[in-house]
Amino acid sequence: MKRVAVVLLLALAGLAALAVVRLFSGERRAPRPSVAVVEALSTADSGFARADAPRPLAFPGDHGPHPEFRTEWWYYTGNLSAADGRRFGYQLTFFRIGLTARPTRRDSRWAARDAWMAHFALTDVGGRRFHARHRLARGALDLAGADARPFRVWLEDWSAVATAPDASAMRLVAREGDVALALDLRTMKPPALQGDRGWSRKGPEPGNASYYYSLTRLETRGHVSVGADRVAVTGTSWMDREWSTSALGAGQVGWDWFALQLDDGRDVMIYRLRRADGAVDPFSAGSVVARDGTTTRLDAADVHVEAQEWWTSRTTDVRYPSRWRVSIPREHVTLDIAPRLADQEWTEPVRYWEGAVTVRGTAGQRPVAGEGYVELVGYGDATARRSRARTTP
Amino acid sequence: MSRTLVRASLRHLLAHPGQTALALVGIALGVAAVLSIDLANESARRAFEAATDAVAGRATHHVVGGPSGLPDDVYRAVRIDLGIRAAAPILERDVAVPDVPGYSLRLLGVDAFAEHDVRGDLRVEGGGDVSFAALVTEPGTALLAREAADELGVQPGGRVVVRVATTRHRLAVLGVLPRRVGTGNLLVVDVATAQEILGAVGRLDRIDLVLPDGDAGVSIVERIRARLPAGADVVPAGARAHALVEATRAFRVNLTAMSLLALFVGGFLVYNTMLFSVVQRRPLIGTLRALGVTRREIFVLVLGEAAAVGSVATLLGLPIGVLLAHGMVHLVTRTINDLYFVVTVRDVAIVPLALAKAVALGLGGTVLAALAPAIEAASTAPRTALARETLELRARRAVPALALGGLGLIVLGSAVIHIAGRGLGASYAGLFIIFLGMALLVPVVGLGLVRVLEWPLAALLGPVGRLAARGISASLSRTGVAMAALAIAVAATVGVTLMIGSFRSTVARWLETSVQADVYVSPPSLVGNRPDATLPRDLVERLRGVSGVAAIGTSRVLRTDVDGVPVTLVAIDPPRAGAGAFRFKDGGGQAWEAWQRGAVFVSEPFAYRRGRAVGDHVRVRSDAGDVELPIAAIVHDYGSSEGVVLMSRATYGRLWRDHGVSSAAVYAGQGVDVDALVRTLRTAAGDDEVLIRPSRRLREDSLAVFDRTFAVTGVLRLLVVTVAFVGVLAALMAVELDRARELAVLRAQGLTPRDVWWLVATETGLLGLVAGLAAIPVGIALSALLVFVINQRAFGWTLEFSLTAAPLLQAVGLALAAAALAGVYPAWRLARAPLAEALREE
Repeated sequence: MKRVAVVLLLALAGLAALAVVRLFSGERRAPRPSVAVVEALSTADSGFARADAPRPLAFPGDHGPHPEFRTEWWYYTGNLSAADGRRFGYQLTFFRIGLTARPTRRDSRWAARDAWMAHFALTDVGGRRFHARHRLARGALDLAGADARPFRVWLEDWSAVATAPDASAMRLVAREGDVALALDLRTMKPPALQGDRGWSRKGPEPGNASYYYSLTRLETRGHVSVGADRVAVTGTSWMDREWSTSALGAGQVGWDWFALQLDDGRDVMIYRLRRADGAVDPFSAGSVVARDGTTTRLDAADVHVEAQEWWTSRTTDVRYPSRWRVSIPREHVTLDIAPRLADQEWTEPVRYWEGAVTVRGTAGQRPVAGEGYVELVGYGDATARRSRARTTP
Repeated sequence: MSRTLVRASLRHLLAHPGQTALALVGIALGVAAVLSIDLANESARRAFEAATDAVAGRATHHVVGGPSGLPDDVYRAVRIDLGIRAAAPILERDVAVPDVPGYSLRLLGVDAFAEHDVRGDLRVEGGGDVSFAALVTEPGTALLAREAADELGVQPGGRVVVRVATTRHRLAVLGVLPRRVGTGNLLVVDVATAQEILGAVGRLDRIDLVLPDGDAGVSIVERIRARLPAGADVVPAGARAHALVEATRAFRVNLTAMSLLALFVGGFLVYNTMLFSVVQRRPLIGTLRALGVTRREIFVLVLGEAAAVGSVATLLGLPIGVLLAHGMVHLVTRTINDLYFVVTVRDVAIVPLALAKAVALGLGGTVLAALAPAIEAASTAPRTALARETLELRARRAVPALALGGLGLIVLGSAVIHIAGRGLGASYAGLFIIFLGMALLVPVVGLGLVRVLEWPLAALLGPVGRLAARGISASLSRTGVAMAALAIAVAATVGVTLMIGSFRSTVARWLETSVQADVYVSPPSLVGNRPDATLPRDLVERLRGVSGVAAIGTSRVLRTDVDGVPVTLVAIDPPRAGAGAFRFKDGGGQAWEAWQRGAVFVSEPFAYRRGRAVGDHVRVRSDAGDVELPIAAIVHDYGSSEGVVLMSRATYGRLWRDHGVSSAAVYAGQGVDVDALVRTLRTAAGDDEVLIRPSRRLREDSLAVFDRTFAVTGVLRLLVVTVAFVGVLAALMAVELDRARELAVLRAQGLTPRDVWWLVATETGLLGLVAGLAAIPVGIALSALLVFVINQRAFGWTLEFSLTAAPLLQAVGLALAAAALAGVYPAWRLARAPLAEALREE
């Protein structure tokens, strides 16, 4: 009887022990890294057209999309002020990201060849607030897209639409929560073709270039809303248009871009391509658009930019330059540029700084003032540089 | 309590290791049964909810369409016109992986650009560079969950073949989704790809929304509703999943009750062991009382012993239960897949609450079972132990009182069942009370039987036979309990077996009447036998043209909301108008005319669950919006435990823009050979992956599903039998070993070892026979309760009670076998024990 009992108990204990062992021997796997959708929205270059030579640009046709190229943007920025002196800066940008150069014919209306991204920011200078909103959509089902005639680019209910047949006037609309704008823009100068007749090289490799033109001075009036306030505003906008397939060259990590409107009627655009070692790439360039619209090209050597102050983001810990002295000896101008607000940093979906600035300086012997926008891309860690380079080169 | 008392108690437990061990095993297995079922149920439920939650993300509401989905443009309206930013289009379907039988994936068609605000950005392992662009632009591309990729052996760049309805699709796997709770079976495709392979171009299954709480959310819901086409609606997220889980409740309660049965039998075993140990120790207890130990201390001592045994047993039972749960969860999951919805369970969730419940039941059950023996021990008079004869006399006198108590319990249990109404838990409680009452009746029935059997035994075996029969009644204090324990255990298995048998024969008869055509054509289905997909559009027409086909009937099976709760709707187009395929429970008469005018039939479970009767109306969500339809009849249908709503195809055609057919019933012409017809139909079906089965096969397959669904019950029955067997072994061995001295006296008086052998064997055999016979009426009563009360209340089904001889004979056989086995060791030991030693008092 004892033996039977011992055997029984041993069997029971063994079964229990087996169960315990089985329970704690489950395999565990370490999680693997992953990336977000925006960062992964890159495509192979293959099949997309290259910006490998100048080509004639025609308007309003070229305001429309160029889906044979991988990347394209419609970039509106501007400085606005209300009758009571309140000042605002705004940015409304539409990015087209080609997902494939050769789309397959498909039955579903959701089939898309482009992804669209839009960034909308409102800088409330007096309120010291920077409101940034972004959207993402596929180019399908009329959710997002662009047309040439009549000109229109939209992502859901954010849009830029021609209000004149030749697109010399446009209307911008964007609203997200309690931040909104509705602005009417009127061109004051003809399109300024950047680089070589609109062909803007970014590196020595053939095709590392974009087609690039700007509407440097757009008379602007309309309304902005922040919270419960709806404010009538007037001001000046700038529109940058660029499309390309491969722009940043080897060794380039980012760029600084300046779009400045001076009170003597001249508009200045400068981009500085930065190399990994901190040097300025020789393919950096710019332009000066005279009061009458004639464009003078600037090469890297024509421009000196000196960062005089730095600002470190509390959100991302990234250090950005935040005050500059720009001199263009050929044009006899020296300009001191300062942000209207230090914190105009985008933290998602991609990290960059894009903000309204004021300009003071001298043109020849006379003092000159102005305003504009500055864009700083590729500061901070390597991931941010890479993703930014991929999605919006 | 003094240390001496504890030591005395411990010594007793260790001095009778066999009894103690058997009691341990009984309780441990009982605890293991309860725990394993609890864990399996809970794991299946959690896996389903985790999968639902993972797919729902932060969604608070869904915009849903009718059975054919939502038009694409509703998404534009919601997102742009109504400005609801946190909105994402979804197509979701369970798809089979035909290369791996029984394996399914949850295909989720998403718009990666809209996911951010609802589920968070779609992510892949390693952040594949081209995956998202290719996912959106290239047809037939997908992302696969890490778990599924491992299980199917697919790498990024590889392919996975899935079957949607009757067509196979090869999908290129672009990337692997990282592990996340509940996403193990996801196959994510672009919304365009999903529309294309699901044959749903222009339609969405739903739109997921994240809406604010409170009034703001309510007003947005109203704004959306105002913009929706007929048949579409905004529903709270989780409502459907909740309804699905709720549908399995009765199934889960039944399993829990079955597992409790194992513990119940285990408890009886403890009762037997404790009572026996008290009886054995009466002299000791009497002496202790004389030495000044109080009643209270004796009471606590016995309960303490039971608690000690219960603790050890529970501790052993817990890990066994968890181990058992790993097997159980597969059976439970398979049944849920067969009957309710598709769910994949990868892990057994070790739920603390389930562990706590098992501990409470194990300990509580043991202590409760020891209560009566403890009271008995405490009532022992000090100084002397009662003479054995006095004790037995008292036991015999108690029999009628016990029987009376048993009758009282039966009345009480019946009252509980009556009051319980539709409450399943309370009904089970009533059932257990009745069961306990019957156990108390066993000794009186048993004694009667023994008395009846005494004469034939005496005639057959001479004095040994008479001694055996008398021995049982003479040591009733122990044999009575053993008999009751054995009878209860056997009755439990008889009851469950008869219930399953009745259920099965009911289903078989229903299949005979409802499966009337000769050949059935249906798409392969993930959920049991219920077709949840449609046949290729032109297939039915093609089949109609096959020679030998006299007529074809069709049915369309789909899920839709009826009175706001999703249920299966079946639209039938019988080739020969007639009500012959239905067995009416209620209605009939004018029902068929009403059916043709647009009324519906509902199945019994539907009527029961929703409290509907003939003449009531149901609100059915159709493509034309909500419509009120009258119920013309309640029909018998055992295909769905949540019930079905049936309507004519003509009615369906008026309310839905849908020409789909879920299955076709083919009637052969006069003199056409059915097997030959199946072959011709197969040829006509061409490449379409459809099941073409003669009615015989369909019935067999349906019964196979039925049998699968009762596999868990079968396992539980086995556990109950094991516990019962252990219990009988313990009880009978104890009884016989206790008689060592008595038998030694008999031997001293001239009984040969061979006679002792016969005596012990006959006595245990007689006990077994008596218990087996007593178990038959108890088992029949139990199964009747299960069939007519429990099943009715759990599912609303009327089952026909079918009494077959086989389970009854098996029961008696089981009892006899257990008894015979239990007799072997004591007989062997008693026969060869040295006489002098055996004659000494303990």
